[in-house]
Amino acid sequence: MKISKKIVLIGHFGVGKSSLIRRFVEDTFTEDYKVTIGVHVLKKEVKLPETDKDITLVIWDLEGNDDITNTRPSYLIGTNGFLYVFDLTRPATYEKLSNDLDYISERFPKTPIKVIGNKKDLVTNEFIKQNKEVFGRFVDFYTSAKSGKNVEDVFTNLAKALIK
Amino acid sequence: MLDNYKKEHPQSVNQYMIVQLDGTITESDDVIYKNIVGENISEIHPFFESIHEALQEKNKRHVFSCIHLTDQNNQTIITDIVVKTFDNDKLPMIVILDLTLHYDNYQTTAQVRNESVINSQILELKNDYLQEKEAFKNAFIANFSHELRDPLTGILTFSDILKKTGLNDEQLNYLKVIDSSSSYLKQLIEDILDISKIEAGRLELVITPFDIRELLEDIKKGFKIKAEQKGLELITNFNNNLPLIVGGDPLRLRQVINNLLENAIKFTEVGTITFNVSLNQIRAQKASIHFQIMDTGIGIAEDDVEQIFTSFTQLNKASTYKGAGLGLAIAKHLVSLTDSKISVDSTLGEGSTFSTNINFKLDHNYKLKSIKKTKEIKPKSDKKYSILLVEDSEITQLSILKILASKGNYFLDIVTKGEDVVPRIEQSEFDLILMDIKLPNSYGDEITKLIRKMPDRDHKKTPVIALTARVFKDDLRRYKKAGINDVIKKPFDEDALLSKIEEYLK
Repeated sequence: MKISKKIVLIGHFGVGKSSLIRRFVEDTFTEDYKVTIGVHVLKKEVKLPETDKDITLVIWDLEGNDDITNTRPSYLIGTNGFLYVFDLTRPATYEKLSNDLDYISERFPKTPIKVIGNKKDLVTNEFIKQNKEVFGRFVDFYTSAKSGKNVEDVFTNLAKALIK
Repeated sequence: MLDNYKKEHPQSVNQYMIVQLDGTITESDDVIYKNIVGENISEIHPFFESIHEALQEKNKRHVFSCIHLTDQNNQTIITDIVVKTFDNDKLPMIVILDLTLHYDNYQTTAQVRNESVINSQILELKNDYLQEKEAFKNAFIANFSHELRDPLTGILTFSDILKKTGLNDEQLNYLKVIDSSSSYLKQLIEDILDISKIEAGRLELVITPFDIRELLEDIKKGFKIKAEQKGLELITNFNNNLPLIVGGDPLRLRQVINNLLENAIKFTEVGTITFNVSLNQIRAQKASIHFQIMDTGIGIAEDDVEQIFTSFTQLNKASTYKGAGLGLAIAKHLVSLTDSKISVDSTLGEGSTFSTNINFKLDHNYKLKSIKKTKEIKPKSDKKYSILLVEDSEITQLSILKILASKGNYFLDIVTKGEDVVPRIEQSEFDLILMDIKLPNSYGDEITKLIRKMPDRDHKKTPVIALTARVFKDDLRRYKKAGINDVIKKPFDEDALLSKIEEYLK
């Protein structure tokens, strides 16, 4: 049975949403920052052997926004899952994390959200430990699009949550 | 011609399509995507896979702005897509508006804006990081210097004690090396601490009335010997019209003059050092006093003059002259606290002249007798005094024990923990208490507060002298408020300890 699910990556600009998708879909990475305007839509099939199901993730790479309330509502129609991405090296990208998650949960109460602290390659484990109360308690995955760390796991994990 | 114009000046193009509810394309004008009738809209681009939900709605119009698609030539086009459904049996309509040119401009603007925001955030973080690093450095210097003080106290005091144990000439010579090394180390720690205080903005002057002529004579005495030891002549001219008592910070003034004279002697191999002090002017209860130190030393090149006041700067790269290069940086800052500055006039190979005008307070209430003459106060030699030492450092305990034991008229009782102090005072009477400030799990000033609250009136009067390296102005204020009478600064030597104790054991 073909299952197709729309997932949306959301978060401030420059946090690495496009890089995570590029790493997941094409397994490539570039240091050059090219701003995303509007939406890029890509898809990738994820095999879930333990559930005997294949799932096509239609991945919406939204342009970054420092105010989540400015996200165009049309982009979110029919969303099955969210990936909220922030940049571990820039506090401005996680200062409103709790409020942003509340904003999404209120509008999409049954839609799974996974929170990702990206650019793990640029911070130490000690830094993450020290910021447990700031962002640590919300985070599902620490990723590095550059090294590929945890990137596959993020999408697979969300895919599993979508077919439950 | 029109076709050429269209190619040369492309405007947005629109493609209209009619689709069934399952996404099958029934009609298309093939403007962007050609020959697609019969295909499912999802096959054109993954974007359309996500709009099936919208197709099921009735009489709705959704506009998806700035959607990146790939055309049949594999070129990226940036579009707005309109999905319109109707409330009767009419099939949904999809319109693709190719706005690539418009959005390309937007992309450029957004790129510049985002990069600028990210760069400013990174810059802010770098500043925060540098500030944290600076704070860490200052805390590290303060703590590290503090930890050095106890062992240094041990070296200084035991060196004094050792001197009196009947050493032969060779041993005394070795001891002189220990003495001079530990004195240099002590000065270095003081300088490093001063620099860290300056950088933290915590170095303040403690203004008090003092006899400036006495201070100058005292300095002269010390440096005359130093100059003579190097074969130099120290010439001093202290003007007779200098005020007798002025308000200023005598310790810091001494530090500035010492630094300038030390340098003058250090960098002069032959000739004279001239130290002139004269009254510049008196105005509005302030005396401006001019200090000038001239030498016939190696001199400073014009381009290097600014550098000499920078921390850790030694112009002599060959290390002929020892020193951390902190003295002038500290002197410059101390003088700046009096709203003045040090000026330098120097010729390479001929010598240097350092001068400054420092303002002092003048007050008719300043009286010579109000200035403590600590050296004249001595305890009665036949009386035995009981002293309580509150100190956790074994080196400091042993140093004080040895110094006091050598005098023969002190009983010393030692406690190492803050919680033991009050019970010990309840058991025994003490003439004086020496109180370390930083104890395990407690602070000496807090313990002193408890002592002052004890019911027995005598305990309220027992002099408490703090032993500490922490002598910032706010620290001293806190000690006084807690009931501490005075402070002996670590590291201390025999003279510093005994003179302070004797001052209070009248």
